[in-house]
Amino acid sequence: MKQRLNFSNYIVLLAASAFFIFPMVAAFEFSLRINEGKSYGFANYRWVFAEDGFATNLGVSFRLALLTAICVLVLMVPTIVYLHLGGARWKRLVEFVCLVPLVVPVISFALGVGTAFPTFLQSTVYELSFLYVIVSLPYTYRALDVGLSSIPLLTLVEASRASGASMRQTLMYVIIPTIRTAVNGAIFLAVALSLGEFTLAVLLHWDTFPTWIANVSQGHILNAIALSVLSLFGAWIVVMIFALAPKSLRSNKIQEATK
Amino acid sequence: MISENRVSVELKGLRKVYGTAVALDNFSLDIAPGELVALLGPSGCGKTTALRILAGLDTDHEGQILIDGKDIASVPANKRNMGMVFQAYSLFPTMTVLENVAYGLRVRRVDREKRNKKAQELLDLVGLGEMGARLGHQLSGGQQQRVALARALAIQPNVLLLDEPLSALDAQVRTQLRDEIKRIQIEVGTTTLFVTHDQEEAMAIADRVGVMRHGVLEQCAPPQEVYLNPATVKVAKFVGAMNLMPVEILSSSSVSIYGQSVALREGGSVPGTMALVRPEQLSLTLAKTQGRASATVFNLTFLGPLTRISVRMTGDARTLFVSMPSSAALEFVAGSLVDLRVLATSVLLDA
Repeated sequence: MKQRLNFSNYIVLLAASAFFIFPMVAAFEFSLRINEGKSYGFANYRWVFAEDGFATNLGVSFRLALLTAICVLVLMVPTIVYLHLGGARWKRLVEFVCLVPLVVPVISFALGVGTAFPTFLQSTVYELSFLYVIVSLPYTYRALDVGLSSIPLLTLVEASRASGASMRQTLMYVIIPTIRTAVNGAIFLAVALSLGEFTLAVLLHWDTFPTWIANVSQGHILNAIALSVLSLFGAWIVVMIFALAPKSLRSNKIQEATK
Repeated sequence: MISENRVSVELKGLRKVYGTAVALDNFSLDIAPGELVALLGPSGCGKTTALRILAGLDTDHEGQILIDGKDIASVPANKRNMGMVFQAYSLFPTMTVLENVAYGLRVRRVDREKRNKKAQELLDLVGLGEMGARLGHQLSGGQQQRVALARALAIQPNVLLLDEPLSALDAQVRTQLRDEIKRIQIEVGTTTLFVTHDQEEAMAIADRVGVMRHGVLEQCAPPQEVYLNPATVKVAKFVGAMNLMPVEILSSSSVSIYGQSVALREGGSVPGTMALVRPEQLSLTLAKTQGRASATVFNLTFLGPLTRISVRMTGDARTLFVSMPSSAALEFVAGSLVDLRVLATSVLLDA
């Protein structure tokens, strides 16, 4: 059903877009200024890439994001599937536990949970991933819970079991593909959170991409703007990948199916 | 396509309790190799529980499950090698029809070429050979259940379990698919347990029908016998329609129904006051002498080949149902005075 936009719709759409676009355009324009605003060029961007630690810290943040995403999936998907299949009486409890990170201030959380980790974890930057898993629980739980509520889970699981599949095979071949969108959402939330998280990293004295940005941009306003434009684009690309990838996979499948 | 492994199934003394509700009580059933047994009963009678226990999907029960004499009670569902078709549509939504059928072989690590070939054979068997590349939701309900049947058969199961596979379908498709399931079952020869609440379906498809009430198997016999010689009053009342007719006890082996003497069958409630007589075991003739007519026609319901006539007895104003071929029913109209005769040679008594 295609709906035609009328005049007032366009006004709202334009106003909303202006609200987002003007600051971005302005920031972009500003970040291109060189020679004290007399001409335009990409010098500020080149500076970002040339600056010490850009690649290392970006690399650290990406590895943290990857580890966080893996941990979230391994921990949350089986747990929530269990809650939906027969563990309903634990659901309230798990829901509550998953909300706790929203209530507890990150500051108390960082020091408390940080010292509770085994020492071998405390001595590596990857301890942050485990904290990010906890911080992202409220969001990832919702995403997966909604996904699983929207499918006839019990029937699919029983059909798979009766076909001879183990629970692991059922998860891999049936459940995860069926709730692909929800899983992608959970991954996206976990990744976005770990790529942008600042407080925990600073409090525990680790260098990640966000702490690096904070450091290098102090005193270099143009470079700081160039950086934020870059990270905005980076984030936008990641969002696009997540939004489009599953859809194109699906449409491929349907094309195959109908040919 | 004939299955090499025809197995026997014995369920012995199964008991299953949910909270305080007894779903199955001392339930025993033998299924011969290659036989199709239908469990028939109203919802909540425990028929699905029995099937799920056999499948391994319900655990924590008492009693034994023997396949070819071996107890499999401790074997998990995914190791029992049973094919199952569910009442709800259960095709895996992200897989094509062919992938669905091949799924059981895929999890058994059969290589792709081999499993796709087998899956294609089964799709051909259920008449959907052309549909392999579709997704489940692109098929009609009846087609989806056929695919589910193909998927259940692809693993060459020891036992085929059908849990009300036709309930979600409309009447015409239901009859058609029912006959097809019977054909396929005969063709592959797999021992089959079929659960349904639809009498006609059970009668049409099964070698033997097991009638269940309140977690108890009341009778398990060929359809004709269940219908013509119900073992208990519950079976008699549940399967097909029954008239309750008052009796006078003549002896320990015979009774009189409206002055006609009929033999008594064992299994009824003794001493009973009512005989159970099927509508087609009664006949009507137009009364010759008006004053002594035993009944008055009250209403006629045309059901295609048969017509069901309700009559009101002159003596006690009791309403009875008589069914007869529609061609024979033409001579009656509402208000006709008729004589009623009992054709049954023996009856069950009900308290």
